[in-house]
Amino acid sequence: MLVDLQGPWSPLLGRLALSQIPYENHILAPLFVVVVILGLAIIAAISYFGKWGYLWREWLTTVDHKKIGIMYILIGLVMLFRGFMDALMIRTQQAMAVGPDAPGYLGALHGYLAPYHFGQIYSAHGVIMILLAATPLLVGIMNVIVPLQIGARDMAYPYLNALGLWVTAAAAALVMVSLFVGDFSHNGWFGIAPIFELSYSPGVGVDYWMWVMQLTALGSTLGSINILATVVKMRAPGMTWLRLPIFTWAAVASNIIALTSFPALTVALALIGFDRYLGTHFFTAGLGGNLMLYTNLFWIWGHPEVYFVILPAFGMISEIIPTFSEKPLFGYVTMVLATFGIAGASWAVWLHHFFTMGAGPAVNSFFSVATMLVGIPTGVKVFNWAFTMYRGRLRFETAMLWAVGAVFLLLLGGLTGMMLAIPAINYMVHNSVFVIAHFHQMLLVIVYAIFGAVTYWWPKVFGFKLNEAWGKAVFWLFTAGSVLVFVPMFTLGFMGMTRRLDYVFNTQWQPLLDIQVLGIAVYSLSVLAFVGMLYVSIRDHAKNQVSVDAWGTARSLEWMTPSPVPFYNFAVVPHINARDEWAWRKEHGFTDLRPDHYEDIHMPKNTGIPLILGALMFLLGFGLTWRIWWLCALSLALIIALVIIRSFDSDTGYTIPADEVERMERGHHERARAVDLPAAGVLGGAIAYGQADPAVKGQGAALGGGMTSPEGSRV
Amino acid sequence: MSHDNPLQHPEVQVASGRGYLLTFLVSTLLMGVALFLVTSHSVAPFGLMLALSLCAGLAVIVQIYFLMHMDLSEAQIWNTFALVLTIPLFILAIGLTAWMFQELYQRTMVMLPGMPGMLH
Ligand code: HEM
Ligand SMILES: [Cu+2]
Repeated sequence: MLVDLQGPWSPLLGRLALSQIPYENHILAPLFVVVVILGLAIIAAISYFGKWGYLWREWLTTVDHKKIGIMYILIGLVMLFRGFMDALMIRTQQAMAVGPDAPGYLGALHGYLAPYHFGQIYSAHGVIMILLAATPLLVGIMNVIVPLQIGARDMAYPYLNALGLWVTAAAAALVMVSLFVGDFSHNGWFGIAPIFELSYSPGVGVDYWMWVMQLTALGSTLGSINILATVVKMRAPGMTWLRLPIFTWAAVASNIIALTSFPALTVALALIGFDRYLGTHFFTAGLGGNLMLYTNLFWIWGHPEVYFVILPAFGMISEIIPTFSEKPLFGYVTMVLATFGIAGASWAVWLHHFFTMGAGPAVNSFFSVATMLVGIPTGVKVFNWAFTMYRGRLRFETAMLWAVGAVFLLLLGGLTGMMLAIPAINYMVHNSVFVIAHFHQMLLVIVYAIFGAVTYWWPKVFGFKLNEAWGKAVFWLFTAGSVLVFVPMFTLGFMGMTRRLDYVFNTQWQPLLDIQVLGIAVYSLSVLAFVGMLYVSIRDHAKNQVSVDAWGTARSLEWMTPSPVPFYNFAVVPHINARDEWAWRKEHGFTDLRPDHYEDIHMPKNTGIPLILGALMFLLGFGLTWRIWWLCALSLALIIALVIIRSFDSDTGYTIPADEVERMERGHHERARAVDLPAAGVLGGAIAYGQADPAVKGQGAALGGGMTSPEGSRV
Repeated sequence: MSHDNPLQHPEVQVASGRGYLLTFLVSTLLMGVALFLVTSHSVAPFGLMLALSLCAGLAVIVQIYFLMHMDLSEAQIWNTFALVLTIPLFILAIGLTAWMFQELYQRTMVMLPGMPGMLH
């Protein structure tokens, strides 16, 4: 039943052989040595400081949504760095390989990367950046923030949450292993039919790509189920739908997209799997196959996916801008409607990725109009942000800089998207670097929002602020890099430069390519500045302690919890009285409520099973890639067995006794008081504590007395 | 609403032994029919596509009804909500795809044998 393979295969190792290890490659071999040394150093350091137990107890087996979120973000940052290194190579190769006289090094005819190698680099770059950098970063931030924003103690399914994390980690590990064992795919991040068929890509590259994508699809689906269930089921009393913080709304919309669209990807990839492993003909060029079917199926997922990643970014911008404008968000309801408008429309536009396929004018016009309709809700959002800032008390701290920068990029990316949405224009620039520049503007919106969100919520999670001066340096360097890379790229797109070139034939493009190299150098500086920012901030963390409301003007519920947030989030589940609950409490003088008594808290227990399942998923992916059937059977059987065993474990939670909660809460209050004292009156004084109007207070107390009884009375 | 046994919640009591078995049998039967139709070449390709789609549609309905016990009761309100949300997406994805491929086939003259409007 299985297809016949070209080349050797053995029952024990499948297609794996020593010759698959690229130890002669001048880039990979030294890199491998560096990776091994670094890995050994990390292992040695952990052993030396005796941190294995800590690592296992506090991180590897945790089901705490905040720690899981942090680990997602760490994976995202590492993969962002890997993707950036790919970008560095793409940019330098293109600038070095211009014209027939361009010299070649390291075995390449021009530049230093042979076409085969270059193809793997841009494919890996795309897959990594979209699915293993942007997605984990966004999922991580949603993981940390959404339960806090709705007043929940954890996710609806803490165990599933950990599983989602480790499946994502398995995908990241698989793509990293492809660096040193075998090749990666060379057919772009989205797969080009029928090049991915076995007859044209006989190696394991496409298999790596396929299983990496499958694992991320699985991880994202699990994550989206969890967030949706959390928001539906775990809201604190009084948190009605129209009081949901706007970021949570964005998370809901985005995860609905994920839940409904990822199956299309799974099916598309599974059919490739049938073609490559069983010899079917779904996407071949002949024998009844239809290659456009793949492109269609892929983009049915692909376009909703791009909104899956941008909606949380919009949500982050919508949280940051009001805080630093010291005003409520303008047009909350229209913002929610616009979010869902975008989510809905995202399902009817996918054909704009292949206008040139040759469907008739009616089809192309339909999708062109549908695509342009997306501009309306997007425009609503931009105007809402602008009106939020209008006559606000703007403070351009680092987080705000990132948010405003994101809005500018959104204009650029959105307007170029509108141009691409016109079939007549699209026929001219499709598959040119103009398209690349368009979607990089969009993805930069996401990166800016993520950096903004990390800066913004960092003090909530860790209890101290990131260094402002270094943060601003990162922002300006990153922005300068973006301008230097992407303005020339738009220009080159108009001049007709196509995407994915390993050799550039037109020597007149040299200056523009050189400017892009300059840009990527500036980007590299911003990476260094980012590391510097982390170093300086952590070094000085004692000086930058913050208490509950780090920015002084935040509005939503998560700012009510102590910083850093205790593992149980809320000692007493809060009662929600208003849309911007924290702002409401500040206005009514309820910032310092202490409960009369505490109750026991029920929390989920740590478990190592998700980690083991993740490891087995990795082995399964590896086995499938190399066709090591015994490994596949073994890991699959173990996965199924473990899932069944775990489902019979009814002892999955534990209880923190009330007096223990009280003791921990007292610690948090003491810390908050100690931190607040020196800064009293500065930290958001105006809004938070300034309105000491006795009338308002009295009314508030009366209200609160009735409504917030579980949280007790004011001290 | 006790912590001890989450299975007491009505919204998770979706499947029963009978439901599983029935779904399994019907799905297997439908798959068998589909396989037979394909291997026996008893219908022209275009008709085959329609017949297979019909089998797939039936399988979906059987699974929703017998396996997931979807009904309109209050306890299942979120399932109903999810279904209502999915149907338009389903129609959109399948309908627009059918439309675009039909236009594509007309313009590229790649026709499935048995398709209406074929010239020969
Ligand atoms: C106003 C909204 C948008 C419009 C009108 C729009 C329009 C388009 C069009 C027409 C194309 C196809 C170009 C071609 O291949 O010829 C395209 C490509 C693309 N867009 Fe957008 N877009 C929008 C928003 C976004 C967003 C929010 C993202 C992601 C965050 C995004 C990411 C992409 C990607 C990744 C591609 C190219 C994929 C590839 O070929 O590799 N776009 N866009
Ligand atoms: Cu699109």
